[in-house]
Amino acid sequence: MADGDTRLAELRELVAEVLEVEPEELTDTGDFQEEYEADSLRAIEMLARIEKKYKIEIPQQELANMQNLKAVYAVTAGYAGWSES
Amino acid sequence: MKRVVITGLGPVSNIGIGAAAFESGLRGGHTGISAITSFDTAGFPRTMAGEVRAFEPEPILRRLDTATWGRSSLFAAAAARLAVRDAGLRVDRVPPHRVGVVVGTTSGESKVTEEMGRRIVDHGFPALPGELAEQLPAGRLAAAVSEELGVTGESVTLATACSASNYALGYAYDLVANGDADVMLTGGADSVCRWAHAGFVRLGAVADKACAPFDRDRSGMITAEGGAMLVLESAEHARARGATPYAEVLGYGLNCDARHMVAPDAASIAECMRLAHRNAGVRPDDVDYICAHGTGTAANDATEAAALEDAFDGRVPPVSSIKSMLGHTMGAASAFGVMATALAIARGFLPPTINWSNPDPAMARLDPIPNHARPARVRVAQNNGFAFGGNNAIVLLGAVS
Amino acid sequence: MSALQIIGWGVTSPAGTDDQALVGALDRPPAPVEVTGRYDAPLPTPRAHALLDFDVRAELGRKGTSFFDRRTALTVVTCRRALADAGLQVSDANRHRIGVVLGTTAGSVRSSVDYAVDTFTQDPPYMVNPALFPNTVMNCAAGQSAIWFNLTGVNATLAGGRVAFLSVLRWCANSFRSRQADYLLAGAVEEFTPHTAWLSRHGRDDELPAGEGGAVFVLRPPGGTHLRGPDAEVLAVTLGFCPRGRDRAEALAGCLRGALDRCGVGGDRVRMAAIGGADDAAARATAWRAVESALGHSRVRRIAVDGAMGDNPTAGGALELATVLAAHRQDPRLDGQLSVLVAQNREGAVGAAVVRGWGRGSARG
Repeated sequence: MADGDTRLAELRELVAEVLEVEPEELTDTGDFQEEYEADSLRAIEMLARIEKKYKIEIPQQELANMQNLKAVYAVTAGYAGWSES
Repeated sequence: MKRVVITGLGPVSNIGIGAAAFESGLRGGHTGISAITSFDTAGFPRTMAGEVRAFEPEPILRRLDTATWGRSSLFAAAAARLAVRDAGLRVDRVPPHRVGVVVGTTSGESKVTEEMGRRIVDHGFPALPGELAEQLPAGRLAAAVSEELGVTGESVTLATACSASNYALGYAYDLVANGDADVMLTGGADSVCRWAHAGFVRLGAVADKACAPFDRDRSGMITAEGGAMLVLESAEHARARGATPYAEVLGYGLNCDARHMVAPDAASIAECMRLAHRNAGVRPDDVDYICAHGTGTAANDATEAAALEDAFDGRVPPVSSIKSMLGHTMGAASAFGVMATALAIARGFLPPTINWSNPDPAMARLDPIPNHARPARVRVAQNNGFAFGGNNAIVLLGAVS
Repeated sequence: MSALQIIGWGVTSPAGTDDQALVGALDRPPAPVEVTGRYDAPLPTPRAHALLDFDVRAELGRKGTSFFDRRTALTVVTCRRALADAGLQVSDANRHRIGVVLGTTAGSVRSSVDYAVDTFTQDPPYMVNPALFPNTVMNCAAGQSAIWFNLTGVNATLAGGRVAFLSVLRWCANSFRSRQADYLLAGAVEEFTPHTAWLSRHGRDDELPAGEGGAVFVLRPPGGTHLRGPDAEVLAVTLGFCPRGRDRAEALAGCLRGALDRCGVGGDRVRMAAIGGADDAAARATAWRAVESALGHSRVRRIAVDGAMGDNPTAGGALELATVLAAHRQDPRLDGQLSVLVAQNREGAVGAAVVRGWGRGSARG
C-alpha cells in the first residue's frame, strides 16, 4: 500500500506540473479538461512523462481513459504491472 | 491599385520539378511519398516522408555556390529560377530594384539545425563549425533567391509556419498592387528533417503509409519538403512583355486564432475566409474550387470542414487536398496550393484528393474530388493555409479577365 | 504622410527598462555579468549581457508559462510593458484589429536544436518533449503573445537577423496601408543561451559578448489620434538587397537616400542615427560610412547600444530605436527631431527608416 501511495504522489506531482497547478490543488477525480484547462498537447505531454519516468509504453488511445488523476493511476498501474495490494 | 497576375510557376516538388511535371503529377494523382533516406529512421515508428529525391540544384542554378547554402535556401533559389523560366521573364530586362523576393518557411534551414544538434552531442559547443552558424539564419531563404537572380528589391522571409507562403503571396500581392515593385518572386521552402519528423510523430500526428485527408479512416499527415516559387507581376507589366498569366490574385485574408499554439479553431478560420472573400471582392457562391490546408490529421480535417460549412453557409464547392500527394511541405505548402489553384483555373481541372476510400460521416456533404482529377471550369478558387501559432492565411485567385 | 505612428513601447534589456536607464547606459554602459557556470553548456565568454534575474513566473505567474521558451517569455513580458506604456486597452471591440509582428533570426535556436539533440540522445529517438514542440516554430513568440493578450488580428514573424526589425516595420506599414489592422505590437526580442552566445561569436573580430532582450512598439496607422500625440512617426521605411560583389556601403546609403526621398526629408536635418550593431569592424565602418554619405554630413549623434546590451543581432535595432525614443522623453529639446536607422545582414539584405520623435506631453509641430 505504501508503494501505491508513493506512486500516486509521484503521479500527482508529475500531472500537476504539466497542468501548471500546485500538487495539492489537484484532486483525485477532478477532470483535467473541465477543471484544469488541459488540452490535447498537455495530455500527450503527461503521457510522455509517465512513459519516460516508469519506462513503459502506453498507447495514445488510452488518453481517453486518463481524464483525472485516479484514472491516470489506474491506466499507468495496468501498463506498469503494479500490483493492486 | 494595379491588377496582379501569376505568370510563372517554379515547383521543386516530390511529384515533379518544373511546371509541366508538377501539372502532370497533379492531374495523374501521383504520390511523392517514399521511405525516408535523408536521415536514419532506426527507432522511428513512422518512416515515410515526401522527400524530393530527384532534387539537384546545380543544373538549375546559375549563380549560387551550392556548397555554401543550406537545403531550404537551395530549394527556394532553384524554384525561383524555374518560375522565372516558366514566366519567360528576362530578369535582366527589369530594373533590379523593381524586383523583390518574399519567401515563407516553417523551420528555415532545419537540416542545419539538425546538424548542429548532432555536432553538439558528438563534440560539444566549442567545436561547432562556422559554416553552420553561417547557414542557420532563416532570412537566407529569401537572400538565396535575390542572390541567384541578382535583384536588389526587398528580400523578406516570412516565418509564419505552415501558412507562411500564403502570407508571402499576400505581401507580394500588396507590393505589386501598390506599385512598390514590378515583379515579385514569392513562395516558400522547407526541408524534411529528423527533429520535426520526431515532433510530429510524438504528437501522434503522422500517418503510417499514406496521407488520406477527408477519409473516414485517415491516420494523419506525412512530413515533406520542397521549394515552390511563383512570379507575380502587374497585369500591365505582363501584357507589355507578352506573357500569358495563369491566374489573377484577387486578394487575401489573415487572422490569428489566439487560442492555442497547435489546435486549430473553426470559428476563427471561418472568419479568416470571410475576411479573404471581403478583401478579394468575391461572394462565397463565386468560389468554384477550394485547395484545402488538408493535412490529413483528424483535428485539421474536422476543423477545416466545419469552417467551410460555416463560411459557405453549407454550400461548399469541391475541396481537395494536394497534401494527399505531396505530403505536408510545411512553409512551401501554401505556395504549392497556390500553384494547384492557378493550374485549376488556367487548365480547367480540379486536382484530386488521392488515397481516398470512404466518406467521413462527420463531413458527409464534402466533395473531396476523390482519387481522380476532374475537368471543370474554374473562375474563382480559394487556397487555405493554417499554421501553428494560429496563423491563418487564405488567398483567392481568379481567372484572368 | 508618414508610414506609421508609434504610441508606446516596452523594453526588456540588460541596461534596464525605463527611459532614464536606457539613455544613461549610452554614457555609462553597464558591465556584462558573470555567466560562467550559470548555463548547462560551456560559453564562449565568461561574461555576457544576460538577464540573469529575469523570472517569467514572477512576471506572469505559473499558469500558461511553464512551457515558454526564454524568447517567448521575454517577448510576452515586453509586449505587456508596451501595451501598458501605450495605454492601449484590449477589448472584444478591438482585439480582431490588433496584431503582433515580430522579427527573428531563426526563432528560439535553443528550442529547435535541443529538439534535434533529443533525437540523438533519446531511445527511441522520437521520445522528444511534446509540449515543447510549438517552441520550435519561429512564430512561437508571436503566437503565444497573441494568445496571452487575446489578439486575433494579423500575426506575423519575419526572419532577417539584423534587418528583421526594419522588415517588421515595413510589413506593418503595408498592413496599415491595406487597412488590415488598427494597432500592431511590433518588435524584436532575442534570448541569451549557449546557442546564441556561440552563434554571436561566429566571425566576430572583437571581444563583444552576446546579449539578450528586445523592444516592442505599439503602432498605429498614420493620421488619427490615440490618447495623446504619438511618441514618434516612422516617416518612411525601405528595404533592399545587395548581391555579392556590389558595393555594400553604396547599397545601404542608397536605401537610406530612398527613405529620405520618400518622406521629403533633407539629410542635413537628421540629428541621431543607429546601425543596429554589426557582425565585425568592417561591417560597422561600412554602415557608418553609408549613413554619413546619405546624410551628407557626419554631425549625427551615434546611438549604439551593443556596448551596454551586448551583441544582439535580432533585436539591436529595436533596442536602439527605443533608446532614441527614450532620449526624446528625457529631453524636450529633442522634440520633433529626426533620426535614421539602418540595418544590414551578412547575406546582403539592407534596410533604412526615418523617424521623428517627441517626448511625452510635448507640443507637436
